[in-house]
Amino acid sequence: MSFGDQTLELARVDLALERRLGESFRIIAPFALVALAMFPMALGLRITLVSEIGTAVFWALGILFGMQVALRRSSTDDRERRDLHALLGVDPAARFAGRVLAGSLLTTAFLVVLFVAMVLLYGPRLPLAAAPAIALSIVMVAVGLSELGTLAGEIAWGLRDRTALASLIVAPLAIPLLVAGSQTFEAIAAGAGILPWVLLMLTTDLALAVAGVAMARPLEEATR
Amino acid sequence: MKRATVLVGVAALAIAVGLWLALTAPADALQGAFSRIINIHVPSLWLAFLAFGVTAFGSIMWLWKKRPRWDRLAMASAEVGVLFTAIGIATGMIWGQRVWGTAWDWGDPRLATTAVMFFVYLGYLALRGAIDDPVVRARRSAILGAVAVVQVPLVYFSVNMFRTLHQTQSIRPDGSTMPREMLVAMLVNLAAFTLLYVALVVARMEVAEAEESAAEREAMAGAEVKPPRLSEVGDV
Repeated sequence: MSFGDQTLELARVDLALERRLGESFRIIAPFALVALAMFPMALGLRITLVSEIGTAVFWALGILFGMQVALRRSSTDDRERRDLHALLGVDPAARFAGRVLAGSLLTTAFLVVLFVAMVLLYGPRLPLAAAPAIALSIVMVAVGLSELGTLAGEIAWGLRDRTALASLIVAPLAIPLLVAGSQTFEAIAAGAGILPWVLLMLTTDLALAVAGVAMARPLEEATR
Repeated sequence: MKRATVLVGVAALAIAVGLWLALTAPADALQGAFSRIINIHVPSLWLAFLAFGVTAFGSIMWLWKKRPRWDRLAMASAEVGVLFTAIGIATGMIWGQRVWGTAWDWGDPRLATTAVMFFVYLGYLALRGAIDDPVVRARRSAILGAVAVVQVPLVYFSVNMFRTLHQTQSIRPDGSTMPREMLVAMLVNLAAFTLLYVALVVARMEVAEAEESAAEREAMAGAEVKPPRLSEVGDV
């Protein structure tokens, strides 16, 4: 099997497993929606303020809960599955790529759900014409989060405190994505250019992709 | 511990000289004597960058050579780096409160990115603390140590990349923006703090080596050869 075939097959398996477990959309997404609804409640009747902070709340919650999607249970292999992959000669880099692909699709879907809910609940001022730019920023942040989550999940694999520890590793490293995502929305609202922020997201995504592929084999050895 | 003790002694002497120079150098015309805090703030943050760079170097060397001393170097440097980052942030906040009128300004990317760097290396130390097996610990933390360093240049150059309250670098390829006496005092302090960093890293590496030897001896001895406690022996 080629690298691409391995990647696609592993992503397909991850998505099938997630469909069965349903952690992302039955637990994490509803929890994120509850959190999204809590901010306006805490702010009381300050309607203008709610509309002003909508996009910022979206990105903060999107990063925090998107991180949990990236670290979901179906993104963790048990020892038997790891051994099976090793015996089958699966390329560790393809394993990383497959996991990132599945994670990116799930995180993108999660962010889209959260974004629609935020628009309905907060009513931010975002022009409809900016939809492609918004979609681009959501996809790029989702890819970066998925790469980070996959890397951190592997580093913390098999540890007692895996989820908490991986979250601690991912959260500070996800700050460039948070800044770039929120500044893209700010720029859209102000009618300014988004290129610098798109470049920051692209650089982060590429740097993480290179790190993930380069570290795939040492990571596999580390968790054997 | 002898080597580390000598180094700490030399570093303490150098810091005493550095601080004396800092206190006798002319004060900044606008900020007054308070500007002397630069002699602690700048060396601390310089050492934070150096320490995390050394952590990345030790991590990469461990992944390549698999020698325990590289893991010890990465760990010791990260611990000392976190300490100096905390000192740098604290002195920066004190300075900011005095000069900008606020201890923390979210519009200042250097402050925000330094805080992020601090948390990244707290995560690195938390990871190390969560793993008992020394080889697994070394391998996984080496990967994180090698990856995490990518944000260090972002912190350093953030004052050049974004509009900010923070001043840009005072020492540039085309010369310095500081008066000579202030510059000399700061450079002496930079050297003295660097010596202190070396001493602390060497001491921490020695402690880590001793801990590893003790753990190995304990593992080799096994539980059954441990002498019984007096309370368990009873009357003979």
